[in-house]
Amino acid sequence: MSDAIEVHHLTQRYGSFTALRDVDLSVRQGEIFGLLGPNGAGKTTLIKVLTGLVPPSEGSASIAGLDVVAQERRVKARVGWVASEVILDDDLSAMENLWIQARLQNLTNWKERARDLLQYLGLQDRADWRVSKFSTGMRKKLEVALALLHEPSVIFMDEPTIGLDAATRRMLWDLIRNIHREYGVTVLLTTHYIEEADALCERVAVIDLGRIIRTGTPSELKAQLGIDVIEIETVGVLDPGPLRAIEGVQDVRVDGHRWTFKVREAEEVLPRILAAIPTRELRRVNVERPSLETVFLELTGRRLGGDETPVDFRKFYGQLLRTRR
Amino acid sequence: MTDVGEGFPHLPEPVESEIGTGPAYRESWSQFSGLLYRELVKTYRNPWIIAITVIQPFMWLAFFGSSFSGAGCAIVLPLTNYVTCNYIQFLLGGVLATSMLTIGMFGSMSMIQDKRFGYLKRVLITPTRRSSVFLAKSVGATTRGLIQFPVMIVAAFAFGVRFSISPLEWMGWVVALFFLGLGFSSLYLTITARSTDWQTPGVLSNLITMPLMFTSTALFPAVNFPWWMQDISKVNPVTYAALFGRNLALFGTANWEYLGFLAIFATVMVALGALVYSRWLKVE
Repeated sequence: MSDAIEVHHLTQRYGSFTALRDVDLSVRQGEIFGLLGPNGAGKTTLIKVLTGLVPPSEGSASIAGLDVVAQERRVKARVGWVASEVILDDDLSAMENLWIQARLQNLTNWKERARDLLQYLGLQDRADWRVSKFSTGMRKKLEVALALLHEPSVIFMDEPTIGLDAATRRMLWDLIRNIHREYGVTVLLTTHYIEEADALCERVAVIDLGRIIRTGTPSELKAQLGIDVIEIETVGVLDPGPLRAIEGVQDVRVDGHRWTFKVREAEEVLPRILAAIPTRELRRVNVERPSLETVFLELTGRRLGGDETPVDFRKFYGQLLRTRR
Repeated sequence: MTDVGEGFPHLPEPVESEIGTGPAYRESWSQFSGLLYRELVKTYRNPWIIAITVIQPFMWLAFFGSSFSGAGCAIVLPLTNYVTCNYIQFLLGGVLATSMLTIGMFGSMSMIQDKRFGYLKRVLITPTRRSSVFLAKSVGATTRGLIQFPVMIVAAFAFGVRFSISPLEWMGWVVALFFLGLGFSSLYLTITARSTDWQTPGVLSNLITMPLMFTSTALFPAVNFPWWMQDISKVNPVTYAALFGRNLALFGTANWEYLGFLAIFATVMVALGALVYSRWLKVE
């Protein structure tokens, strides 16, 4: 079986601005895959190409083995899309929005499924409400229902939780996990929230300035950094010599009673360290593992959404021009 | 917050998208009719749009048509090329035709709204063809414009106009206005295919409405025009829709060849628009 999403040497240009540079990507069937990167990294552009909305300037992409250019309409019949800004027709009811989606996807037996989806999402009593009366959380759910109506094999979620409050975000995370589990649908989501990628995604691609910098599971990416930090506080003052010699310890710093160990795998090294220190000497132990945030920082040299992000003025200007339209 | 934990719906029967499996016309019809329904139901839910659509030509008829009512037959008769002393009876066909000119503006504004709110993107991330999107907007705007027809007929009756028209000829009149509206809605949509600016349709409307109105015979007969304006009026589609209606209102006779001319105009504009949309539409 072919991969759910395959991308080869994809480059996307808008005039003189290059939004994606030589992107390679493959997402397996039934995977939750995250594209992690700051605003303007090229995440939305990649989704536009993969949903057949714009043809790529160079390279190729396919969904479930179907080429996004040559078989554009068949691709579109197999993908669902949840926008970052909620896009629904406010003048119509939830059911009418679903009806139009069914017409656009040329579905015949859609009504029962639409009712089931509304039931599942807790919107069954609001089926005939105008969408203008919906809360943001309800709108988001309805968008998910629209995306699932035609049983797509891949769902694209572009910054699905942007602008949502904490409770709604949790609700959406649960929803994404559940539809993925129950439904076996492949999910590609973009986010600039590290914790979102960490919480939801089986694999993550870190994207910045139109390039994919690294791909792997969240723990693989963290492991590539190779450094866990173990902090130990002791009662007395110990000889650092034997502790430095423990296998797997890369660096030890001592500050009176406080010890900081940089190690490769905390799970393996911690028992050895604890065995080398008499139990009565131990006061406190703390293990710190790198977050995806640290990984991102390490890979790009910049903090996600941080103020110290260096500004690429040419790109900034390009974005400005696009936003003005 | 509702729990969305368990129990994903299990389907009674598979709902497969039938894209690519059935005949292409059926897919396109499904998509077109869905989008057209959206256009019409949105109008129906916004009574203000209907009210303004109807009031605008009514005011034309009432104010412009009545401006000669105190002048007497001696002045009105030459204005109507010696056919009637009731200027409103002469004007009715022209006002109905002219008002179909502006409805295209609303169609193209609503397209720009769909671009700006991303709805067009939602539609185009389905197998819907761009030409279907175009056609649904164009037909939607035209249908919306036709709401004014029955109202205007009743208003004209109230101003003393009497009709002797067969059902087929009534239908012909509606179809003539439909063709004219479809042609101009398509023209507006085509010109604004790459625009995302709210102001474009309004500016365009200001630019083309007046010249098209005055170079047609919607308000006055062509006999008093200079030769060059007569030439323009002969290729101006508004002329043919106005004359079709006028001849029905004045003499109860239908010029079916005018209807043919309007059909050609509408077909050309729709074909042009469908081509432009499938090639050059700007989505956002």
